Amino acid sequence: MSQQFLPDNPLPQEVRVPDEMAVFSPEVEAEIDRHLAKYPLKRSAILPLMFIVQRERAGFLDPPGVAYLANRLGVRIMDIWEVATFYSMINTEPVGMYHLQICRTLSCKILGAGTITEHCTRRLGIKPGETTPDKIFSLSEVECLGSCGTAPMMQIGFDYYENLTTGKVDELIEKCRSGELSNGVR
Amino acid sequence: MFIGAIGCEPLQLRRVNLENSRSIETYRKNGGYEALRKVLDRMSPDVVIGEVKKSALRGRGGAGFPTGMKWGFVPKDSPKPKYVVCNADESEPGTFKDRYLMERDPHMLIEGMLIAAYALGSKATYIYTRGEYRYLIEIMDRAIEEARAAGLAGDKILGTEFSCEIYTHTGAGAYICGEETALLNSLEGLRGHPRMKPPFPAVAGLYGCPTVVNNVETLTAVPDIIKMGGEAWQKLGTEKSGGTKVWSVSGHVNRPGVYELPMGYEDMEKFIMEDCGGIPNGRQLKAVIPGGSSVYIMPASDIVGKKVKMDYEGLVAAGSMVGSGGFIVMDDTVDIFESTKNLTEFYKHESCGWCTPCREGTDWLVKVFKRIARGEGRPDDAQLLLDIVDNIEGKSFCPLGDAASWPIQSAIKKFPEDFKRHLLPLTNGKESGKEGLPTI
Amino acid sequence: MPAELIKVTINGQEFETDKGARLIDVCREKGFAIPSFCYYADLALQASCRMCLVRIEKMPKLQTSCTITCTDGMIVTTESEEIEKAQRGMVEFLLANHPLDCPVCDRGGECELQEMVFDWGGLEERFTEKKNYAPEKFLSPIVANDPQRCILCKRCTRVCDEWMGEDAIEAGGRGSHTVIGTYGGWLNCSQCGNCIEVCPTGTLLDATYRHQTRPWELSRTISTCTFCSDGCQLSVGSRGGEVMRVVARDRYVNGLNGEFLCIKGRFAHPFVNHEERLRTPLIRYKKGGKLIPATWDEAIRYTAAKLRAVLDAHGGESVGVVGSPRLTNEANYALLKFAREVVGTNNYTATEAFSLVPFFENLGAPLATHKDIRHAKTILLIGGEPEELQPLTGRQIRQAVRNGGAKLVIINSVPIRLKHAASQFIQIRPGTEDAAVLALASKDDAGVAARKLNVEAGALEQVRQHLNDAQGDVIVMFGGELGAEAQSLLAQLSFTFGEKEGRRFLLHPLPLFNNSLGVHDLGLMGGALNPLEILDAAGAQLRAMYVAGSFLRTHLEGREDALSKLDFLVVQELFQTATTEHADVVFPAASFAEVDGTYTNNDGFVQRVRQSIPPIHQSKPDWMITAMLADALGTDFGFQMSSSAVFLELAKQIPAYEGLRYPLLKDESNPVQARHALVGQRDVSAQLVELRSLVEGIEETGETTTQTPPVGHELFKLGTLTSKVPQFHLLAAGNPEPESVLISPLYQITIDPALRDEAAVAGD
Ligand SMILES: Cc1cc2nc3c(=O)[nH]c(=O)nc-3n(C[C@H](O)[C@H](O)[C@H](O)COP(=O)(O)O)c2cc1C
Ligand code: SF4
Ligand code: FES
Repeated sequence: MSQQFLPDNPLPQEVRVPDEMAVFSPEVEAEIDRHLAKYPLKRSAILPLMFIVQRERAGFLDPPGVAYLANRLGVRIMDIWEVATFYSMINTEPVGMYHLQICRTLSCKILGAGTITEHCTRRLGIKPGETTPDKIFSLSEVECLGSCGTAPMMQIGFDYYENLTTGKVDELIEKCRSGELSNGVR
Repeated sequence: MFIGAIGCEPLQLRRVNLENSRSIETYRKNGGYEALRKVLDRMSPDVVIGEVKKSALRGRGGAGFPTGMKWGFVPKDSPKPKYVVCNADESEPGTFKDRYLMERDPHMLIEGMLIAAYALGSKATYIYTRGEYRYLIEIMDRAIEEARAAGLAGDKILGTEFSCEIYTHTGAGAYICGEETALLNSLEGLRGHPRMKPPFPAVAGLYGCPTVVNNVETLTAVPDIIKMGGEAWQKLGTEKSGGTKVWSVSGHVNRPGVYELPMGYEDMEKFIMEDCGGIPNGRQLKAVIPGGSSVYIMPASDIVGKKVKMDYEGLVAAGSMVGSGGFIVMDDTVDIFESTKNLTEFYKHESCGWCTPCREGTDWLVKVFKRIARGEGRPDDAQLLLDIVDNIEGKSFCPLGDAASWPIQSAIKKFPEDFKRHLLPLTNGKESGKEGLPTI
Repeated sequence: MPAELIKVTINGQEFETDKGARLIDVCREKGFAIPSFCYYADLALQASCRMCLVRIEKMPKLQTSCTITCTDGMIVTTESEEIEKAQRGMVEFLLANHPLDCPVCDRGGECELQEMVFDWGGLEERFTEKKNYAPEKFLSPIVANDPQRCILCKRCTRVCDEWMGEDAIEAGGRGSHTVIGTYGGWLNCSQCGNCIEVCPTGTLLDATYRHQTRPWELSRTISTCTFCSDGCQLSVGSRGGEVMRVVARDRYVNGLNGEFLCIKGRFAHPFVNHEERLRTPLIRYKKGGKLIPATWDEAIRYTAAKLRAVLDAHGGESVGVVGSPRLTNEANYALLKFAREVVGTNNYTATEAFSLVPFFENLGAPLATHKDIRHAKTILLIGGEPEELQPLTGRQIRQAVRNGGAKLVIINSVPIRLKHAASQFIQIRPGTEDAAVLALASKDDAGVAARKLNVEAGALEQVRQHLNDAQGDVIVMFGGELGAEAQSLLAQLSFTFGEKEGRRFLLHPLPLFNNSLGVHDLGLMGGALNPLEILDAAGAQLRAMYVAGSFLRTHLEGREDALSKLDFLVVQELFQTATTEHADVVFPAASFAEVDGTYTNNDGFVQRVRQSIPPIHQSKPDWMITAMLADALGTDFGFQMSSSAVFLELAKQIPAYEGLRYPLLKDESNPVQARHALVGQRDVSAQLVELRSLVEGIEETGETTTQTPPVGHELFKLGTLTSKVPQFHLLAAGNPEPESVLISPLYQITIDPALRDEAAVAGD
């Protein structure tokens, strides 16, 4: 669960134990097999598989996806839950199509990350941790992404956008709106 | 952004500015895989470890542990498989060198890993990359494929009896997974909590087998050590810290970037003011965090005119540490209270929650910082912060607790005015409507 | 192997201790109180609370004593200003976000965090920020959860995983957002409540006891569980004649089970004070009429007269006496004495599910204790389902495998959950357990056996090999599936395999009831008839019957009319049951919480049952009712209203109990094992021949199931006692998740009555 989506003092979201399981195309299955083949223990592939399930299932680990993972990895639902909630890039609730993640850590901060965040908030009408009602944008503040030398920066999906200015942010948002930009989820 | 060497021949960064630097052709044309050839043809594993020991290479992940010694801990007679794991989790604020090393010269890492695997008798190696660096994983995957096609990875490497697989693995957003035992847990598919030490990974690491975890930069140094010979490489640096070091420079400098410097580069002031182009907008240097967020902050007064030597010993003498080499420069617009608050929030977010002092301590620290920032600071808050930090430092399960403590300790010590200013009840209560908050 | 002795210095005093001993244990043993939350003996180390800090010379920083093993010459300081400051710092951290409203917390008064603070005193609260908040909720009908009070010592999650093998509760989230919880917020597990037990604070709470009383208002009585044959020790907390809760908390009890209990032991006690308990003696004056309340005097007189009439008309053998494996040894002894001395009949038995008489007759090796199981190196389990029917045994097996590296071999017709702990699991055709024993007892018959079992002969050979090669303790366990011959051969298995240095065979039968072993020991199972035969004889050779407790539903099924054919039926019971429906007189009996006595568990431990509340309504202990009836029939049992007198006489009569007295049984941490006679090597060739022909007759048709039965498939069934507990109805109905976990499921869910209809088999 990405912490940015949580109120100050959260409980883990309640997800019912699913009764159906996700189904994927042969290509995706092959991709999953390639990951599983890397490790002597299947369980090791939990994170790569979570990313795949997340990508294939609307951006988050929905109950059928969780059931799939447990089955594919031969682990218990609880094993999936405890791992999924630990890592901030694994979503256990839906996120917007474009997930704008602005680095808030020191180097970016002193070079204007705050301005970028405020600008996005104004442009999108959502605060960090929120998703627009049309589910197009989610905004988050995240910790250092290793772009300190090219600060400030943000990540949309997995894609890096660096040396940001408010002007560049406007451009990016426009491109998202028009669907021109990849949402960075691969 | 600048990327290159200052004060020495570029070793780690030798190819980064070449065209097509990622490709195996470029790499081979520029001396690539020669070290591996040499190792496979002429050197026994023990000789390789011996060279690394002679080189005085110290781990570049942050702890600075002598790499040769670490490799020496791996039991030779263990019947279990052995693993080499490359720590490419690089999440330390201010650090981004590993990213460029992998992005621009992935084959150097592969060669380093193969040599390490040969020296340690490992047949499977993993590169644990933070989940956000997805594009790097793709670059590495492509490079590994190239290497495999060229007979440099997989079965019977370069026609010898040595076989070794290299796999990439992704993290998913957790700074703590840079800590080597937490990394191993994460690689096994568990929550990224650190493990108890002993046993150390060299004895019981990944899947309970002997494992060496090394930073990217540590491993990329290995081919050059082999090519030049350990002693020659060491001589580039100082006696105890051999070779060159790659620094990530960010913040208020005109030329941020990735700098390769010889260990023991003589003057930090010169480095900032000349090599990095000085402070922009005519501002003054206020402070530097030289080794990633987890080290003591240095005020300008400890740098200017002090000829601070940039190596492990020099920085300790100057009151800080090399850490991961994440060099953050701050000018006089920065409020050190704010910057410390920013880092404390980072540690709170990244605490794994395993042990009491770090989990509860960082939460409390952030709450105090936030209250002070709201204008409700009390005169004894600085002392409270120090007390909380004192109860964390040295008592946490893993070094993250210490890492969260040091910035606060040094910031309050070196920049007391920046804290006092917030604690004075000047604007107190104005916004909140509460007059006369306690001032004693 | 005796461990090497080394010297350590603690606070300036030198001590000898075993090399490799854990420092925290050594310090505590030597009287230095080291605080801790996360350390828990025999669970995986955690070292996360950082309370147990000590200073060790030559080591940088303070060290956690829970992770340090002693080495020779170690110099340790456990008390100093520096250490106390660090420990106080930890408690301060733990209290930071902890709601300091102990007066409304169910754990107040027995909370380890509270105790720590009281111990030190003078703790100043410097945390003045807003506390993190999370609402109280329910995790199941039985477990309530107040997440704010959690100190994340993770004893609960480790107990769930390591003891129960369920891993139903885990830590999720990260950093200060870490929460102990479950996927979906609802706890799907066997509801043992051990997580509640080991929780040092008020985070996990007994939902059946919620806000009922304060711990210090309870009087605590150490007693023995009245459900399965494991015989867990527990502390019954009562107030004003009402049983409020049952715990195994180690500061109160220190029995063979430590802090372990299963759902029944811990939560099924509300039957004791249930409103449907029989209040007075009842008499049915006319067949087909109603049971009408009567005084004790009237009921005893009436019964005596009726029995006398039957005796006079048809003689002693026309009266059947039926004891119960659910009642104390004292109660059963009184019944046996009644049968022999008052009635003069051999037609006695007990309502036991299966007989272990052939096993005890051929007993060639000692009974295993639960401690033996934990430290065993090899465990062979034939049939049975200990996780559901003898949960403590189930836990010991898992611990032996997990913490002790034991090899577990399972031969079962169902892929039971324990399969996952087994190094070898052999799934056999249902109903062929006897064949497995044949294969072990006689190598030559392995081929036939394998065919009947529908397994590879190699698999059986592998089991033999395991047992042959085994070092250390080999524990042979078996369930009720085995016939008489197979039991006899198994009891002699140690001789089949012969003596070997460093190997010891121990036997562990898995009967179903709290005092199953007791009824065998007393000889009640050695009567002329078994429970089925006695029912069949009703109305024919038997004219009257005296039943303590009730017939098992499985026995009564298809024989419902048998009891109505009797001229006279006396039953003593807690509740109206299918058996009392036919009774002419019903005596209200006192439950385990209201009586003194003993139960004998499957270790052969004779353990005390102690009265914690006075008998409910007009009920009386079973043995007393029997003695009153004997008296009315002209025989004075001489028990003088004292159960210890009954036991004294019993111990004189029963060889295995010789010399036992209540005072000898008072320490539940050192239970006393009955001395079951070991018969040495016997000639069992006749049994072998018999078994061989039995096995040859088995039809090779049974279908095997591949489905592992769900958690609770036996535990949650409703029996006479458990059906009195609302929570069990919810569980039997599949543990439905209510609309809101903030309100008790008891108020939110109506149960489908159809789901109540499966009877429990074990201990109820
Ligand atoms: C909280 C914490 C975070 C760490 N993060 C990283 C990291 O991101 N990258 C890294 O290489 N080492 C990191 N380390 C250091 C590793 O634990 C370990 O020392 C290193 O991987 C060893 O490699 P080296 O000897 O090559 O430095 C971290 C350590 C701690 C305590
Ligand atoms: S110090 Fe403790 S809580 Fe913090 S990261 Fe390390 S183990 Fe986790
Ligand atoms: S008991 Fe040692 S850290 Fe908790």
